[in-house]
Amino acid sequence: MAQAFRVSDLTGIQVRPARLWTHSLSWILFVMGIALYVHFSIVRHRENPEDRVIPSATQLVQGLKASVLEPAEEDDPLDPGASLFQQVRHSMIWKDTASSARRFFIALLLLVPAMLIGLHMAVFPYAGAFFLRFVLFFDKIVALSLLPILFIVFGIDEWSKIMLMVIGVAPTLMLDAYNIAGGVPREQVVKAFTLKSTNLDVAYRIVLKQVLPQLINSVRLNLKPLALFLFAGEMIASTDGLAYRIAIMRRHMGMDIIIPYLLWVALLLFSLDALLRFTNRRLHPWYQPR
Amino acid sequence: MVSAALRSVERPFEAIAPHSVPRRTEIELRDVSLSYSAGKEGSKTVLSQLNLKVAAGEFVVVLGETGCGKSTLLRLILGQEFPTDGAIEVDGKPVTSIDARCGYVPQKYSLFPDRTVLGNVMYGPENAECRLLARLRPSFFAYRRKLRKEARAYLVRMGLRPQDMDKYPHQLSGGMQQRVAIAQALLMHPPVLLLDEAFSALDPSTRASVQEQLRGVWLESKPTVVFVTHNTAEALLLGTRLILLGRHREERAGETNLVLDMEIPASPLPLGLRMNSREFQELLEHVKELAYKSSSLCMDDAIADPIVEEGNLA
Repeated sequence: MAQAFRVSDLTGIQVRPARLWTHSLSWILFVMGIALYVHFSIVRHRENPEDRVIPSATQLVQGLKASVLEPAEEDDPLDPGASLFQQVRHSMIWKDTASSARRFFIALLLLVPAMLIGLHMAVFPYAGAFFLRFVLFFDKIVALSLLPILFIVFGIDEWSKIMLMVIGVAPTLMLDAYNIAGGVPREQVVKAFTLKSTNLDVAYRIVLKQVLPQLINSVRLNLKPLALFLFAGEMIASTDGLAYRIAIMRRHMGMDIIIPYLLWVALLLFSLDALLRFTNRRLHPWYQPR
Repeated sequence: MVSAALRSVERPFEAIAPHSVPRRTEIELRDVSLSYSAGKEGSKTVLSQLNLKVAAGEFVVVLGETGCGKSTLLRLILGQEFPTDGAIEVDGKPVTSIDARCGYVPQKYSLFPDRTVLGNVMYGPENAECRLLARLRPSFFAYRRKLRKEARAYLVRMGLRPQDMDKYPHQLSGGMQQRVAIAQALLMHPPVLLLDEAFSALDPSTRASVQEQLRGVWLESKPTVVFVTHNTAEALLLGTRLILLGRHREERAGETNLVLDMEIPASPLPLGLRMNSREFQELLEHVKELAYKSSSLCMDDAIADPIVEEGNLA
């Protein structure tokens, strides 16, 4: 039978909170954040009803509506009789999301070979000897400092931003893949060879299959750095994208647009993370995270 | 025989005449030595001047204190390590890399965690029979069906239930995992089966049951087995031949650390009954004495680890 809650339980290590408690506690900080925002918004709007720094709920709804249903300033206006679908399809947020997502997923795709290199570094000693020192050094280069070089080499179009993301995250992913694959017990590799595996069998059918869930987790942890480099690239040189819009709105003090964009980006990353976590669980029912 | 063995312990680092075997030699080690670089201390010799011939179908158990080179001996036969001196042959061919001539059951991590029990057992034969592209042929599916039947039969013989076949290793107990690992190795029909303290993580009752299964399988198909263990009773119960290794002493350069090489008398009794027989208990006492004596002789300044785990007899 569940024990009654005692205040001293809050600092206990061996306690097992009831499900209701866990859920309630997990929402408290959200509620507090919203409450603080509303409080400061009311205070500022009492002093200045036109305040744009902490927009009111009405301003936020208007900003959200403008983002979701109206085209960007630089685009042609829509016909007044356009359907809701057309309005969303040509909206500012849709256009920016599509541009950022394209860059993001191309970069993500280019990171797959990076992880495979990390895997090969762990499995094949000569590959390890060839890459490891260089990757360790390259990992220490601050990717943003390469931005001018990237602009010179790739121009200010898409590829410079994509390469910034790839260069920023690839060494970390490589080293992560190297460490994860290196952690596969030696006994497994030896056993695989006694079961007539070839070198490639061991690399792809034994090691890669075993470490894939951990590699997906590694990608999940690197989603934010990836988005960070995307935002850096878009804020510096871009004509569309979520970060571009936030940078433009900053000039106009458009917090009513910036806040919905910020929450939208967080929601997108959260959803992608959840999708990867779900996929990992479904694809690898055998995986037992430590 | 026991007194001869005792005599050999009295001269533990003198070369012992190789065990005489009438059958075809499956594993042969000739003057095998292995040293590691030990930094400032120069090098550390683990195995020295080891000569060993194992005949086809023998069940050799290797005993010895911690650090005497039991597992190293296994790794050398397996091809995971190479001797600094001497030569090793398995199945008549020199060992140059790890391959399917030797089946291998380690103490831990013996199964692939991403495969089910059946997947683990079928992995080797599938690899041996069909490379990647050959798996697209219709004949592969027929082969797979046949193999599945054979794998199931092996697993049932090793004491697994039909409902365990589709489980993942983490859903099995340690004893069941080791049974699957043995089936996985045996389904490849390797000429040599190497077990490295394969049962040491099991509780006594599971251990006894897995010992029984292994012994049964060995009696049935007679692969050559090299079994490394810490447990003297287990060694005497399972094996047909006992190898006792001692720790190498650097001041006795050029001398072997093979302390004892003796045949274990066969018994018609099942393992459980055999263990309680007077003959077995006498033999056990003798070997314990030999082992203790050899580890005492091997002691430098430090106290040697005891070989015989009194409370851990299966």
